Amino acid sequence: MRNAYVDQFPAEARVVKSAFWSSFLALAIGGIFGLVQALHRTDVLRFIDSTDYYTVLTAHGVLLAITFTIFFLVGIFTWAVTTSLDRGVVDIRFTWSWYVMMVTGTVLVAVAIFSGFLEEPPSILGSELYADVLFTFYSPLQAHPIFYIGLVLFVVGTWLAGFDWFRTWWAWRDENADERIPLPTFMVLTTTLFWYICTLGVALSILAFLLPWSLGIVDSVNPLLTRTLFWYFGHAVVYFWLMPTYVMWYIMLPKLSGGKLFSDPLARVVFVLFLLLSTPLGIHHQYLDPGIAEGYKFIAMTNTMFLLLPSLLTAFTVVASMEHGARQRGGEGYLGWLTALPWRDPVFTGMALAGLMFAAAGFSGMINAGMNINYLVHNTWWVVGHFHLTVGTAVALTFMAAAYWFIPQVTGKELWSRSVALGQVLLWFVGMTFMSNAMHRSGLFGMPRRTAEPQYQNFDFEPAVGTVAEMDAQVALGAVLLVVSLVLFLLNMVLTSFNGTSDSIPDNTYAGTLSGPEDAPEILDNLKLWTAIAVVLVIFAYTLPLASIVESGGLFGPGIDGRQLSLGADLEPALETLREVVA
Amino acid sequence: MRVSKGALLVGIVLLVPFVIELRTALSWFGIEITVVESALVGLALAVAITAWALWPPNEDGEAADRS
Ligand code: HEM
Ligand SMILES: [Cu+2]
Repeated sequence: MRNAYVDQFPAEARVVKSAFWSSFLALAIGGIFGLVQALHRTDVLRFIDSTDYYTVLTAHGVLLAITFTIFFLVGIFTWAVTTSLDRGVVDIRFTWSWYVMMVTGTVLVAVAIFSGFLEEPPSILGSELYADVLFTFYSPLQAHPIFYIGLVLFVVGTWLAGFDWFRTWWAWRDENADERIPLPTFMVLTTTLFWYICTLGVALSILAFLLPWSLGIVDSVNPLLTRTLFWYFGHAVVYFWLMPTYVMWYIMLPKLSGGKLFSDPLARVVFVLFLLLSTPLGIHHQYLDPGIAEGYKFIAMTNTMFLLLPSLLTAFTVVASMEHGARQRGGEGYLGWLTALPWRDPVFTGMALAGLMFAAAGFSGMINAGMNINYLVHNTWWVVGHFHLTVGTAVALTFMAAAYWFIPQVTGKELWSRSVALGQVLLWFVGMTFMSNAMHRSGLFGMPRRTAEPQYQNFDFEPAVGTVAEMDAQVALGAVLLVVSLVLFLLNMVLTSFNGTSDSIPDNTYAGTLSGPEDAPEILDNLKLWTAIAVVLVIFAYTLPLASIVESGGLFGPGIDGRQLSLGADLEPALETLREVVA
Repeated sequence: MRVSKGALLVGIVLLVPFVIELRTALSWFGIEITVVESALVGLALAVAITAWALWPPNEDGEAADRS
């Protein structure tokens, strides 16, 4: 008898499927905008007015980095919790309610952004619809309140989703008192915990400052404060995308390779480290911001370098598991086992290539993370090249590859074409190699990011090798290949959903372990302890910088009387001494 | 075949980043090649890998074609 996810959990499968389709829709629109940007900037083909560039870029950033990724991951997480606990969610109506909330938020945000294409955007709540503020929505760029309200609804939706996963686990725990948390659920819960911690920052930034300001309740904001609160969230959000990717690498890749996960304890350690360290390093995005003392930046850099550890542990564990799988399949030799891996399987190959690109991204990431060398690449196209390897490939390609496994699981329909799927993942890799490589190299000679027209008058960029025109062509070529790949992906998904149901869907399983939870110290499962330490680290990393930002720029901007945070008289000298020590 | 068709395809795809970076890397040693030249190098490497993969090393070379 067939035993796919849809057979085990038909009700949950419907929510997961809806979440996946929401994410695919965002991917489709966002991806096409990516091509528009690439062709426009490189002056290969210009469909839009340069003045509309930021509308396109805002949509691209928000739809891909926020909507696509998060909708997909709430699907994966719901699957992971229910599958590994072997029980459904507590109340499916609640599950639908957070999904609907996320959709509502997305629609509001999209309406605000897309109104940027209108000649005369309508006025709502007394101001014109507008949201060309990019996905970072830095003040003094100001969006229409609907944009911020939409974001809040979306984030609250994810909070409820997190609560859903927790209560499902609590219900399971009542029946299985002495058991270890199954690994996939453990991964979901630790990720959810740091998501709560980090989103508090962005919620504060929006609810206390940006929203009141766009509603006209307050006159101004302190840009450095809202920016810092954004990055308090902005780095951790990258781990929010990355953790589901890691979940796939840890619990699917070993299975697909024909083996088992090398070590469950190591996987738990990695996720605990991410819980601890995801948030107290956001200032590494602000190395060039004036108004934050070097000392705080140095702390952020140190924490960042520590975070290399769990990623290196992951590389080790995942590759070791793949090798184990390959050897089970008869692979031999030092490297000969590599040829024994199931390269024809698009799910495996997509995830493996995504992992490889992530390794490359790790190298460019270390450059970004270094305080001094960051100055060379800050705000250049290097950075864009970097994150198209991380979120744009490690995450996006893993998700697309995973979809080839998940969509049959949640629909009971067989994938339309595995060969097209294989071609698709390979094409993404090639396209991204072209695009990202040229972006990185352009950044090295100072090509700025976030501009429709990077060519200035009376100024020539001087590439170390080749010409600017060649690099532009390389970006355009890469972008075209990427969009072809994207179209193949969507085509496969659409045609799959037109397939009839099939009896030959594989069982809903994930990888076993060579070294299981019994080898993991009990303390690893103590979520309260790790959360407490994570909070303490955040307090250490952020209290002083935030206090000094507020002190020098005011809560609502400098010179706004009556709203300045006045620190108690006895706190002031203490703060001063501390600041001298750090700075 | 020495390796499966899937593995061969992946092998060729993995050449792409190396070929693209070749130009930058070589320039470091003072050797400047054009885009067309690096494309030709890439093509030659792809042909070489394909030839290696297709050439049966021995009678039971077929066995490698699993997936
Ligand atoms: C279809 C393939 C894609 C193409 C052709 C593409 C192209 C581009 C280009 C050219 C830019 C730079 C614009 C500029 O600096 O002026 C950009 C920015 C960006 N892309 Fe993509 N991209 C693609 C896929 C993705 C994916 C899959 C993600 C994430 C999941 C992503 C996330 C972003 C983000 C976050 C930005 C920065 C936006 C900003 O600066 O505000 N892109 N993309
Ligand atoms: Cu970061």
